[in-house]
Amino acid sequence: MKRILIVDDAATVRMFHRSILENAGFEVDEAINGVEALEKTLQNPFDLYLVDVNMPKLDGYGFLRQLRELPVPQVPAIMISTEAEANDVQLAFTAGANAYLIKPTKPDLLLQQIQLLLGDGSI
Amino acid sequence: MPFIKKHDQQPVKNDERTQERDCESLVLSLDNPDPVARRWAARDLVECPDASAKLVERLRVEQDMSVRAVILSSLTCLGDHTAVAGLVDCLRSEDAALRNESIEVMKQLPDEVAPIMRELLHDTNDDVRIFAVNILESLCHPDVESWLLEVIENDPQINVCAAALDLLLEVGSKAAEQPLKRLQLRFADEAYFQFAINLALRRIAED
Repeated sequence: MKRILIVDDAATVRMFHRSILENAGFEVDEAINGVEALEKTLQNPFDLYLVDVNMPKLDGYGFLRQLRELPVPQVPAIMISTEAEANDVQLAFTAGANAYLIKPTKPDLLLQQIQLLLGDGSI
Repeated sequence: MPFIKKHDQQPVKNDERTQERDCESLVLSLDNPDPVARRWAARDLVECPDASAKLVERLRVEQDMSVRAVILSSLTCLGDHTAVAGLVDCLRSEDAALRNESIEVMKQLPDEVAPIMRELLHDTNDDVRIFAVNILESLCHPDVESWLLEVIENDPQINVCAAALDLLLEVGSKAAEQPLKRLQLRFADEAYFQFAINLALRRIAED
């Protein structure tokens, strides 16, 4: 079963994404900021990351930049943000994101994007 | 047993405070190339009632984390109109760290922030309205719920409403029930709103 880490400081958003992903058959873990996400990654790497932009301690950009430097298998990351401007999307891709979705997330779009990134018919 | 405040037994080293301690020199020390001098200046400026503007000005450019922390602490202690106005201005910055720090300080100044909260919640900038809702997250003020209800009833921007909804999940009372149901209808196509509002309504019913 593929493992996905949800990185978001908003508890309701984490619950919402968890319900979508678990219903689609993924194993899900959660982190409330980038620091916790890095710690969890070092303990047990994931197959995909779902990352919020604005978080305390270490935001989504900072997390992705550090993740991309870690000696762990480099897997896809989807950044999720309220910002829809081209500059924000560019920042996310520069930091290491592989896809960018606008909040509030549409479940079907999220699952499509995951399927594309994992590329193995895992849904 | 009476609480006895423990005083720091360490004498202040000569190299820690090298400038005169009057307000004018402290303000000048905020631009000292040595971060230790800037940190001491930021700390001692808490005794200078007119220092808020200079502290905010320094906060916007300060790179040293320890100096930033002391500036924020002094601004929290000063907590005057100028400090709050400066922090509001920081909410418009492109610097995410500066915005987050400003939000954290403003959360600790309920009496000073309350008079401008309605204005912040009606700001023309969507992001500022979201940050205003973020400030409400731990602002101990009796009007928090009514401000949030006003947001979900009137704000046209989906993410501002989503931020208010997230908070109402925690603080919403029976008074939030009908506004939440109206919000559910307003964003009937948004799965997140349906999910979160159902959670909120269930929690309110259980209370």
